[in-house]
Amino acid sequence: MVNSLTIRLKVNGTEKSVNVEPNERLLDVLRNKLYLSSVKAGCLRGECGTCTIIMNGKLTKSCLVLAVEADGSEITTVEGLTKGGEPTATQKAFIEKFGFQCGFCTPAYVLVAHWIIENMPGATDKEIKELLNAVICRCTGYKQILEAVRRAREIREGST
Amino acid sequence: MASVLHFRTTLPNFTYRRPSSLNELLQLKAELGGEASLLAGGTDLLVDMRSGIRRPKVVVDVKGINELHLLEHTRDRGLVVGASVTLGELGRNELVRFKYPVLYGAIRKLADPSLRERATLAGNIANASPAADSVPPLLVYGAKLELASLRGRRQVPLREFFTGVKKTVMREDEVITKIIIPEPPEGSEGEYFKAVRTSEDLAVVGIAALFANKTEPRERIVRLGFASVAPTPLYMDSVEELFRRDAPINELIKEAIKLVLKEVNPITDVRATKEYRLHLVKYVTAYLLRKYLG
Repeated sequence: MVNSLTIRLKVNGTEKSVNVEPNERLLDVLRNKLYLSSVKAGCLRGECGTCTIIMNGKLTKSCLVLAVEADGSEITTVEGLTKGGEPTATQKAFIEKFGFQCGFCTPAYVLVAHWIIENMPGATDKEIKELLNAVICRCTGYKQILEAVRRAREIREGST
Repeated sequence: MASVLHFRTTLPNFTYRRPSSLNELLQLKAELGGEASLLAGGTDLLVDMRSGIRRPKVVVDVKGINELHLLEHTRDRGLVVGASVTLGELGRNELVRFKYPVLYGAIRKLADPSLRERATLAGNIANASPAADSVPPLLVYGAKLELASLRGRRQVPLREFFTGVKKTVMREDEVITKIIIPEPPEGSEGEYFKAVRTSEDLAVVGIAALFANKTEPRERIVRLGFASVAPTPLYMDSVEELFRRDAPINELIKEAIKLVLKEVNPITDVRATKEYRLHLVKYVTAYLLRKYLG
């Protein structure tokens, strides 16, 4: 019955080889086998978005992906954004604009913001809101998060 | 029982298979039938496996099959969408946006952008939910499905595909290989109206409307497709026939609303009451018909 498989992932720039069971979610493998605890288990049904990662360049809810499906994928989590412990422009913007409170959804929002800045630098507020829609925050209200995305873009543009 | 299972976080055990050809997939389905569940985007399957609604012995990932990634448009066949094509891909496709605006609108209102990168059009159909947003637009465009098994291939009009909540005419050994969406009528316009609290939610009521040749009664095309108003998505032939009559448009609109209210059969659930759904059906139908015909 059990057919344990070995998958290869490139996680935050490093090649990893992991043994997984067919019924393991990518979320659980990232958390429990690769110790990336920024990836949160929330609703486990694709609604809350706290398990969001960037997989092969796309924002992806890792609770609805089997680990075996991800074989050969390239994955980025918040742990992979910082270089040498220094917060990125996006992270600084979230601090500056108070884009978080309890912090549970924050890694997901920081990734969404990072993705927007990298892939849709000219995104309108409407487009940003649509993308932020993929994650649920139960404490800040979304205004500060939207402001953080705008601010992150400013910081990023100012620095280049 | 269901409420206990709801809190499990792990998925039950199964074997994982990833065939690399359609033939290999059809062989698996022929052997395993209902014991094999197909995995494309997984956005419904993983939720159903966790809650215990589906307990497949084997999960068959169809993303390794090249043929199913097909997305092409020809004048005589229309748009052909392979079973592994995601809603995200369709939502970014310029041809879908300009040629099939009703479908495009529904896709952009379905779940959220990151889920749409996983979820497939074929999966949204195969799941056979009465609330599937992509289905009413496909009904008004007259889409057909190609089903395949080792016994052969057949085409089924989407309007004849659903038989009940989560039930379809598909046999246990069959899979959807592609969705064929014919060329829309010349000069057609329309939209998908999704009555909902927030877009990532399921539709309280969804109505797709497509119009063409509005001023020429005998040639007039008025097509309505509905989600979340009955055990299956609904297409109403009777409305299309009605609007072929040569009568004042306001009278036809009144008649049409009566016809629609006779055919829908909504239920009360967590998202809305039956009465509220009937109210929405009446007013949204009237709004759409007046907007495009009035």
